[in-house]
Amino acid sequence: MSIRKQGPTRRTLLGAAAAGAAFGTMPGLIRPAAAANEFKIGLFIALSGPASLFGPTQRACAELATEEINKAGGILGRQIKLIPTDAGGPPAETTKSAIRLMLEENVDVFVGSHDSATREALVGTIKGKVPYVYTPVYEGGECSFNTYVTADTPEQQIRPSLTWMMKDKGAKSIYMIGDDYVWPRKCNEQAKKYIAENGGKVAAEEYVPFGAPNKFEEVVTRIKSAKPDAVLITLVGADNVNFNRTFAGFGLDKDIARLSLLLEENTLHGVGADSSKNLYSCMSYYENAPSAAAKKFKADYMAKFGDKAPQLGRIGADCYEGVYCASTLVTKAGGTDAKKCMAASEGITFPTASGDVTMHGRHVDKTMFLADCNGTEFNIIKTFADIKSGDECKA
Amino acid sequence: MRAASLIVIVAVALPFLLGPFWAYQLGLYALYAAAAVGVGLCWGHAGFLPLGQGLFFGLAAYLSGLTFIAFADLPIIAVLAMPIFAVASALLAYAIGVLVFRRRGESGPYFSMITLALSLLAFQIATSWNSVTGGFNGLKGIPGLPGLNDFSDVYYVSAAMLLAVLAIAGWLYTAPVGVLWRALAQNERRVQLFGFDTNQLKAVAFGVSGLMAGIGGVVYAPQQGIVTPQAVGFGVSADLVIWTAVGGRANLLGPVIGTLLVGSLTAQLRDTLPFWEVLMAIFFIVIVLAFPRGIVGLADPLASFLKGRRKQAHVAAPKRLSSDQPARLVLNGVGVRAGEFTILDRLSLDFDPTGIFCVIGPNGAGKTSMFNAVSGELATVTGSIDLGDASVSGLTPHRVTRLGVARKLQIPSVFQHLSIADNLAIALWSGRARKLQLLDPRLRRWTTPMLEDLQKRYPFLASVERKAGELSHGEQQILELAMALLTEPRVLLLDEPCAGLSPEETTAVIGIVRWAAQRLGGAIIVIEHDMSLVKELAEVVYVLHNGTLLAKGSVAAIQADAAVRAVYVGGEK
Amino acid sequence: MDPLIVTQAINLVYAVSTLAVLALGLAVIFGLLGVLNIAHGEFIMIGAYCAYVTQSGHWPYLAAVPLTLIVCGILGWAVEWIMIRPLYRRPFDTLVATWGLSLLLRKIAEAIFGLGFYSVNIPLPGTVHFLDTEYPIYRLLLIAVSLLIVVGLVIWYGGSRTGSRIRAMVSNPDLAQAQGISVRRLAAGTFIVGTCLAGLGGVMLAPLIPVQPFMGLDYVLRAFFVLIVGGLGSVSGLLSGAAVIGGVDSIISATSSATDGYFAVLVLSILFLWLRPRGIVARS
Repeated sequence: MSIRKQGPTRRTLLGAAAAGAAFGTMPGLIRPAAAANEFKIGLFIALSGPASLFGPTQRACAELATEEINKAGGILGRQIKLIPTDAGGPPAETTKSAIRLMLEENVDVFVGSHDSATREALVGTIKGKVPYVYTPVYEGGECSFNTYVTADTPEQQIRPSLTWMMKDKGAKSIYMIGDDYVWPRKCNEQAKKYIAENGGKVAAEEYVPFGAPNKFEEVVTRIKSAKPDAVLITLVGADNVNFNRTFAGFGLDKDIARLSLLLEENTLHGVGADSSKNLYSCMSYYENAPSAAAKKFKADYMAKFGDKAPQLGRIGADCYEGVYCASTLVTKAGGTDAKKCMAASEGITFPTASGDVTMHGRHVDKTMFLADCNGTEFNIIKTFADIKSGDECKA
Repeated sequence: MRAASLIVIVAVALPFLLGPFWAYQLGLYALYAAAAVGVGLCWGHAGFLPLGQGLFFGLAAYLSGLTFIAFADLPIIAVLAMPIFAVASALLAYAIGVLVFRRRGESGPYFSMITLALSLLAFQIATSWNSVTGGFNGLKGIPGLPGLNDFSDVYYVSAAMLLAVLAIAGWLYTAPVGVLWRALAQNERRVQLFGFDTNQLKAVAFGVSGLMAGIGGVVYAPQQGIVTPQAVGFGVSADLVIWTAVGGRANLLGPVIGTLLVGSLTAQLRDTLPFWEVLMAIFFIVIVLAFPRGIVGLADPLASFLKGRRKQAHVAAPKRLSSDQPARLVLNGVGVRAGEFTILDRLSLDFDPTGIFCVIGPNGAGKTSMFNAVSGELATVTGSIDLGDASVSGLTPHRVTRLGVARKLQIPSVFQHLSIADNLAIALWSGRARKLQLLDPRLRRWTTPMLEDLQKRYPFLASVERKAGELSHGEQQILELAMALLTEPRVLLLDEPCAGLSPEETTAVIGIVRWAAQRLGGAIIVIEHDMSLVKELAEVVYVLHNGTLLAKGSVAAIQADAAVRAVYVGGEK
Repeated sequence: MDPLIVTQAINLVYAVSTLAVLALGLAVIFGLLGVLNIAHGEFIMIGAYCAYVTQSGHWPYLAAVPLTLIVCGILGWAVEWIMIRPLYRRPFDTLVATWGLSLLLRKIAEAIFGLGFYSVNIPLPGTVHFLDTEYPIYRLLLIAVSLLIVVGLVIWYGGSRTGSRIRAMVSNPDLAQAQGISVRRLAAGTFIVGTCLAGLGGVMLAPLIPVQPFMGLDYVLRAFFVLIVGGLGSVSGLLSGAAVIGGVDSIISATSSATDGYFAVLVLSILFLWLRPRGIVARS
């Protein structure tokens, strides 16, 4: 060993020691103390990124379900421990978290409320080793092994609402505008079928780039010139808000109705009272849904979280049903064995924020609500009971 | 070598120390770290900041993913294709570098914006081209690397890739090309004036960074099983820059430490610490303001890392590549304009192939501009410049230098942050080293008889440790003069070599100039204001005024010339 | 005239003028100080939130203007002093530092206002009959205000003494300092003007867009592209850049699709960065 100057050597050693200590204690810091036989649910919600405005309510609804189930004895006698994990970043980050949960926490079930890209990445990572419940709103077609879907499907969202719009409101020509990715495109594909069924026509089908700074003056002007009866909107998040405000700003809301497929309370708040006339939404849950179950759910939620309760909406309430789905499934299957769960899933009934649902073909039939917008509140005008998912998996 | 073996041992032992999940996590971040090393190469060494490395990382990932899917039954083909895709990324980066640097000349923020815009464009293409890339949801179902089942197995592949990238970087940093990168980051013009095509050097740096990002990307696809447009967009590009900045961009290991520590910590703590991202933001700002050398700067192992090399024996440098016969420098009616102003006005000068000549004239006469025109830095509107048989007008500065023209600039322009030895080495490589030789670290030990003579005369030139910036003003002048001499030019252009020197230092410089004239046997052209110096040195004096030649002759003749007197005393304008 | 074409034409003018105003703050800072302020978009965001706060406090909409000037002014002064001043000669470091700043400002906005969208009511709702078509009043007003701001700044910069001092500082800071011009104060003042202009842009635009912490990122990129294409250092450059970027995007979005419009803007910016980095109106 050659003789080196004192200074750098000492500093280097100190630095190396610090790094070594940090690395050595890291696993200890992260691996939490294992409590007695908890039932661990890995909850994938948006804790960062543009969708993170839903994070608080997703977590809150899941916690409500957890508390209720734990009070009733837990799952197969084990108390549920919820592990909220970020799914708001790139799918690659989320899959890493999934692996960590499987390897280090030995998680029992995954419940996920996030976009389809993340879902597909997770399915590829989880590889069916752990049951995975997917809950929000999606384009249909998920039949992977050991994966269970409680999300609203296009058949549930679009068919009843679009049919109503065409029959009851007499809309014949429909203009379709959406973000350019899988969910809007598949939705529009389905929508075209229903439009044809009802003897209508598609005025145009337009997409804007997803993830780009979009402005909608040109689109709105085209809609104005095309003079459709209604607009079917599959825009998401900020695009949804932006489009609706521009649309109303140009005064088109007087004559043309809008049906937005991912319009929940937060987005409506963004759209604002001045832009929400003649605007409709169709989902399986709203904060002021008229069912008895929904009222009770809201009361329990407010009781638990009080003044600071995050805004309720479909994205959030879906986590409540996700936890219940997992609980019911595992209880019936007697454990988390994949084959048993697959077999047990058929026909289970479990509560959601708006009422009980039953699972067929690893999808659920639902009661859908059609809402129009009254300022920044939803006003449920029609209830469509027991709509089949249309996406039942064969095996 | 000691440090290198330590790194390898740590890399191999980590999975056992930290458990399978950390092995998996580090396996992913090792791939990002490989790309980050490329960012460190461009930013910390070559002096330009690439903001869109995601383009190369993601491109390689998509290509690799598509191949693994296409050849799911015969994965060995996909494995063999992996190096090809990494090289494809490298070539793309090199091509972009050549196109951009050639036009722009400087690497400033414009280059960064181009790389950013390209990365955004790639993101858009990846999102829109559904049929090939799978669109926003990404390319899914990519089979894994054959034969690797466990999560920690993949770690070893990633770690091996990272080590390979570090080896490449380490080699390049100690090779002459690395020294040249660091030099051009400090003073690009000066490097050109030593005969190096800096645009190509920068393009090569960018190409290598593309290779490193590509190496990370090709393993990313089978490891993750999915490639989404995020892998190619601004998010990952920005993260790489931030990790590199925090870890220490000028250091070999800095980007790796930044990526592994900061990157994996962020992923880990994001879920548990709600204000993690605020802390990170403040942390970046503090690092940039107060610790530009990053985390690694606090420990400083690189100095000790490189120290070992110096004790090796010197190697005799080969002869110059181009001719060393003295040549006649002739300016013929040269006109240079800048906007409305005429800088040189049909200037005609004829210098003998050997001898010491002085160019004098009042401020603004165009003396330095004449030098700039000869070096190729100022475009001539009319007229021509010849060196011997070769025409020099219109050539780029590095080409002019290669023909045997050397310059010492008005303000001492040595490379402040490089060692004295590296400064001198650059001068030795000028005109002697072929392009591929710049990859050979042995060139740093070159020496010539002239260098040895200079080092006997000025012992500080033999110092191995000191940086050029630590020298006094006078010593820097001498260093730069020595560097110019070492290129053994046919024509040596000295711009006010005695500016700011004490009388003793001035005498020393005069001595060197005379000695050089004898040793080199070419022409030495000196711009000077001090008439006593001119008297000492000049065989012929040229007087410039308003961009044209006013008078030419011996010192006595010039001093007697009425027109010259009038100009200096202020009679005529 | 076909009302569709008329409407699209007004859309184009609207796009160009709002782009010019949004890029103005960045032009001042980048063009005059040579500083890449990536946090420019966050100052726009601050302006928009000020508009929201004004609305929640039931004050008249115009009260948002002085509020924004105060907030962006103080913040701009603090940022220039702490972060920008030490980094004037290190362009890449300002880039990374202002990136950190933009992250920080976003997170602070998040902490105060949460992640949801806010909407600011349009102060002058409704449409008006203009050139054969119905067009929103507020947007027409914005066009007028934008042009006024740009023209006003030009006249002031060209005519006033501060303007000539700034020009002196830009062309030769050392000489300017020697002449007794306080370069430091002038530079700080210029930076503050840039951030305040951004804030004003945010106030103007707030009723028309979703107000949320991530809104700034979009505008920064567009503003940079405007400056690249148009050229730094002159108002005609800013306007031509806004005209080209806004125009290309608008026309292609109108005739083809929004995705193609975005593509075209990206490709155009890359071409300019590559072939004509000094922009259309190059400063000599």
